[in-house]
Amino acid sequence: MLLDVVDLAKTFTLRQGWPVPTLVDVRALDGVSFSVDRSEALGVVGESGCGKSTAARAALRLIEPDRGRVMFDGRDVLTAKPAELRALRRRMQIVFQDPASARDPRQRVGSALMEPLAVHGVARGDVARKRVLAILDEVGLPKTAFDRFPHEFSGGQRQRIGIARALALEPDLIFADEPVSALDVSVQAQILRLLDELKQRRRLAFVFVSHDLGVVRHFCERTVVMYLGRIIESGPTGQIFDAPKHPYTKVLREASPVPDPAVAKAKVAIEGEPPSPVAPPPGCHFHPRCPLATDICRTQAPALRDIAPGRRVACHHAS
Amino acid sequence: MSAVSKASDAAAALRVEGLTTSLKIDGVWRDAVRDVSFALAPGETLALVGESGCGKSLTAMTVMGLLPKGVGRLSAGRIVIDGVETSTLAERDFGKVRGDSIGMIFQEPMTSLNPVLPVGFQIAEPLMQHRGLSRRQAMERARELMELVRIPAAAERLKSYPHQFSGGMRQRVMIALAIACSPKVLIADEPTTALDVTVQAQVLDLLGVLQRERGLGVLLITHNLGVVATNAQRVMVMYGGDVVESADVGDFFAKPLHPYSRALLAAMPRVDRPTSDLAPIPGQVPTLAELPDGCRFQSRCPLREEACAVRPPLTPVEGGRRHVRCVVLARELAGDLPREGTA
Repeated sequence: MLLDVVDLAKTFTLRQGWPVPTLVDVRALDGVSFSVDRSEALGVVGESGCGKSTAARAALRLIEPDRGRVMFDGRDVLTAKPAELRALRRRMQIVFQDPASARDPRQRVGSALMEPLAVHGVARGDVARKRVLAILDEVGLPKTAFDRFPHEFSGGQRQRIGIARALALEPDLIFADEPVSALDVSVQAQILRLLDELKQRRRLAFVFVSHDLGVVRHFCERTVVMYLGRIIESGPTGQIFDAPKHPYTKVLREASPVPDPAVAKAKVAIEGEPPSPVAPPPGCHFHPRCPLATDICRTQAPALRDIAPGRRVACHHAS
Repeated sequence: MSAVSKASDAAAALRVEGLTTSLKIDGVWRDAVRDVSFALAPGETLALVGESGCGKSLTAMTVMGLLPKGVGRLSAGRIVIDGVETSTLAERDFGKVRGDSIGMIFQEPMTSLNPVLPVGFQIAEPLMQHRGLSRRQAMERARELMELVRIPAAAERLKSYPHQFSGGMRQRVMIALAIACSPKVLIADEPTTALDVTVQAQVLDLLGVLQRERGLGVLLITHNLGVVATNAQRVMVMYGGDVVESADVGDFFAKPLHPYSRALLAAMPRVDRPTSDLAPIPGQVPTLAELPDGCRFQSRCPLREEACAVRPPLTPVEGGRRHVRCVVLARELAGDLPREGTA
């Protein structure tokens, strides 16, 4: 495995309340493990606040997790010294949802893309320029993009710039955090196709965070489903969405609209909204909204256990 | 015009004829919505679907009389809301119709709610203004409305402020506010786009209940074809300010006709089946200034031919059950046409 994340945990402390603020703990990650191999995309799905972005950021050590282990190509990311960490980060890049907010509006595209090459001491001057032009071409942008500013581009083109920036250092792994969520359908398909090509050609591994199950089904071979800081189901993407085992995965799947009026309109099989990660319910976090919940679910958190080859589920009642 | 005439003039909750909206861009007035016509019956959901900049929200803003002065204007067409022609009304009189006969909800409820007023008061306010209720009566009605939109513990939450609600609950508050005066029409502009899917399903379910039980006509504006399929009876697809196709939802999803409608569906990844062959639409939506004359979609269309340089009419096909704006298709499907139907 290229990336192996084991038992990652992270609790944020927030000041909350008025007029006398108190400190509250938010358990953003509660023992999360996943792995991803070369040429493979791992989907991370779940609703707002489930910890999917935190998981990606903690694995990159953009935030320091409280506990757990992250192995990248056999090296321990969490104990790496600054110099080693910088070398590792060169091989792990990130693509954000809103490429505009990740760019300096006053820096020309070419200069922005040459910067990481200089920072990592890979290339400077003409060599760097040639390399950036080649990457612009690879992501489907014209050479003239080099001397232009980010605002001169459409949303889809800006995301191509974001991808070009991530590719500049020839990484092995890309964390993509909702990379196509802000795009129109027709442009979204263009970007997905580009990512498909890159995955094949460069044998890139992806950790692909998204709330859109359709996009994940298209792009990711395997998927993990998160709920309130825990992984509740994992396995091959097609199997998970065709035959979900965890009651929450079922709800998520049925609530996702499908462009076919013959598919009976999903009865809203769920009441309420995800509880706050500030005070998650005891036992299985999902039990207050779960149709299958029994006494054991209210007291004991179910372990993520194997139920079929490659498939795991954290539910006392799944079979 | 059968797709637009299911409701006769009197029965329609909302009727729009030849609506053309222009925007002033760099000092030049350009038509951003061209000649849009439809009728919305009570208890019906009509979806207006398309990508950014296609004119779907602009159509809604025009109907609501909310075009910014000096930047946008209604250049042609009639708008009749619950029997009252609003396109000729002065702003003062329009204010009465707005909120009274037509309500609107937006993608981000936080921008439409006043952050420093309790939500109960915000729901009660239009009832005092439009219905002449006393403050106490209006607050009582606000509580009923919050129960109607299924906000738990409504009585206690009347005094809560918008920031104390989750996104889904805020959208419910917006819905309660929009239907406070029992309008005939609700315009929902991307009402669930900012919500998680399970919350989206709950809010759409609520809209469906209101539409059926209260006979509300809903104009649902969305970019999500999945939302259209399960929540609307009819659909109009817009591209570059033109309606390019209109049909019943069943017909549309069974066989989308317009090249743009087909491309849109082929580009959409689906959760219910493997989609290894996503087909992106080449190029991107042209800006208003770049839009070609004639057929707006021609620059990206696989069926393009010389005749596309002239703007095609919205042509009835399949015996007038549906309409499509495409010369090539109109010719291919001409066999289906009753002769008089081409007008």
